[in-house]
Amino acid sequence: MEENLRVLVVDDEEGMREGMRRVLERSSYQVDLAENGEEAIKLLKANTYDLALIDLKMPGIDGFEVTRHINETLGHQTVVVIVSALATVEAAMEVTRQGAFDFLVKPFVPKDLKQVVERAVRQRRLILEREKYLTELASERNLSSQLINSMHEGVVVLNINREPVLMNPKAESFLSVRYKPQLNLQELSLSEEILKAIDDILESESPQGEARIRWEQVEDRMLEIRVNPYLREGKNAGVIIILDDVTRQWQAEQDKTRFISMVAHELKSPIAAIINYINIILTGMFDDQVEKIHEMMERSKIRGEALLDLIRDLLFLNQSDVGKVEKSIERLELNAVLRDQLEFFQAQADRTGITLTLEAPEDEYPVRLDRKDLDRITMNLISNGIKYNREGGSLTVVIQQDDEWVTVKICDTGIGMSDEEMKGLFAEFYRVKNPNTSGIPGTGLGLATVKRIIGEYNGSIQVDSTFGKGSTFTVSLPRA
Amino acid sequence: MKKILIVDDDPDLQEGQKVFLEGRGYEVVTAGGMEEGLDVLKSTTPDLILVDLMMEHYDAGFVFCAKVRENPELAELPIIMQTSARDKLGFTPDSYDEKARSWMKADRILSKPVPPEDLLKTIEQYLSE
Repeated sequence: MEENLRVLVVDDEEGMREGMRRVLERSSYQVDLAENGEEAIKLLKANTYDLALIDLKMPGIDGFEVTRHINETLGHQTVVVIVSALATVEAAMEVTRQGAFDFLVKPFVPKDLKQVVERAVRQRRLILEREKYLTELASERNLSSQLINSMHEGVVVLNINREPVLMNPKAESFLSVRYKPQLNLQELSLSEEILKAIDDILESESPQGEARIRWEQVEDRMLEIRVNPYLREGKNAGVIIILDDVTRQWQAEQDKTRFISMVAHELKSPIAAIINYINIILTGMFDDQVEKIHEMMERSKIRGEALLDLIRDLLFLNQSDVGKVEKSIERLELNAVLRDQLEFFQAQADRTGITLTLEAPEDEYPVRLDRKDLDRITMNLISNGIKYNREGGSLTVVIQQDDEWVTVKICDTGIGMSDEEMKGLFAEFYRVKNPNTSGIPGTGLGLATVKRIIGEYNGSIQVDSTFGKGSTFTVSLPRA
Repeated sequence: MKKILIVDDDPDLQEGQKVFLEGRGYEVVTAGGMEEGLDVLKSTTPDLILVDLMMEHYDAGFVFCAKVRENPELAELPIIMQTSARDKLGFTPDSYDEKARSWMKADRILSKPVPPEDLLKTIEQYLSE
């Protein structure tokens, strides 16, 4: 640093100027000379000097004026040493008052000059270091504020007087408050519990590092609110509040709870029906009516079987949830698959006199699916078409295709659904409940599962229905 | 002969309780849901109602009770609710104060499956009052 230090020597005596130059250049300073105040100011404007050695008594602009110029116009950048023959304490004080750093008394020997200059250089180095530090600090502050502002969480900092002193844009959006100086804590509309946590931390003798955490609904969001002590040198300096949007997590938990309570209900209902029949049989009141007992046991058997179906569907749902089912995807030909399936259902359809028809004018309707998945989709829909049909009705399966899609329409002539009943049709455990459906067994998981599987293959399912006339389910799958 | 209306969307629970109560000398009418139950009440006035909680909706039983109570003639009719979701939902009579119970409009809430003799005892208790 010293090597390149630049020194300005201002003196109206040429011998003095040259003498100082020689001494300083030998110590490898870069030296500029000025023979009066005007010239010095001109040079100071053009260059940055680390040091200025200024003669006090000069014609025109004197040394004090140059010093003032340096301090007022250039803002302390250059360390000033006044060189003067007036060696009194008063003069020295005056020089310092005027903003000079040191004082060199004429006449002097080179050693005196060197000593004064070295001291001034140390001062200059301190100034430079301080400047560097301040610059770094400013850029660190800039970095922290950029970090805080780009955070996914909301951040609010309160000082020891519970006044908000910082809020990042996320916090502003979560709390619907714009930050402004002198913002009041009340304006953040925090809950009583959070305010209490803030008080607890601020009033605590030795605040611990751990946060107080709460989940709170704020407008349409669920926020996780963490209140942390803000410590400076181990002492309370305020509170840092971190706000995290956990709405999706919360939603998922709600859905899970709802699903579990629905499962519990669906599992309990058949068991309740079976136990009820058994209880009645056990009262002995029908001991002399065997056919009545058989009837109740027959119904119990049906409910027990339906419960098994439900458990099977639930297990399947759980497996596909966790991706446990390994798929073996192959090219399948829908015409053949559906023909087989309709044949399988023929006996069931005959019981209620339902005519099964397949309309597939072309030879091939290729799709790429796991065979078990395809069975689940079409067998569920065909089975529904038979279950929810009328006696002597019909079920027609129509296959169509274009370059991209193979479409299967499954049309029944059954009980149909009203628009109201169709809402939520594909939701888990949804069952249309009206007098027409009350005797039909079902798990309420069939269509939900069908829709889910079709989604896995980027296909789609639609339903059209007229109450009392019948329903048509249309499944589209990508053509192989 | 005392008449009991059973409102339940489970045909087997309905049927089972029907044959049991008929065997014990009651006349039984049934309905498979809230709307059907309200329909039945237009033409029949039973001495007591047994109603399920979760039918068309998870709280259909409560809605049914409230609607029954709207009719001044049925305001004092004993209603016994049966549900398999009682504990899950916290709808135990003890867990509610007087006010909540009056909101529920049911006189008793029983957990499914109700043992037949218990059901009979409860019914007899309300019919004798």
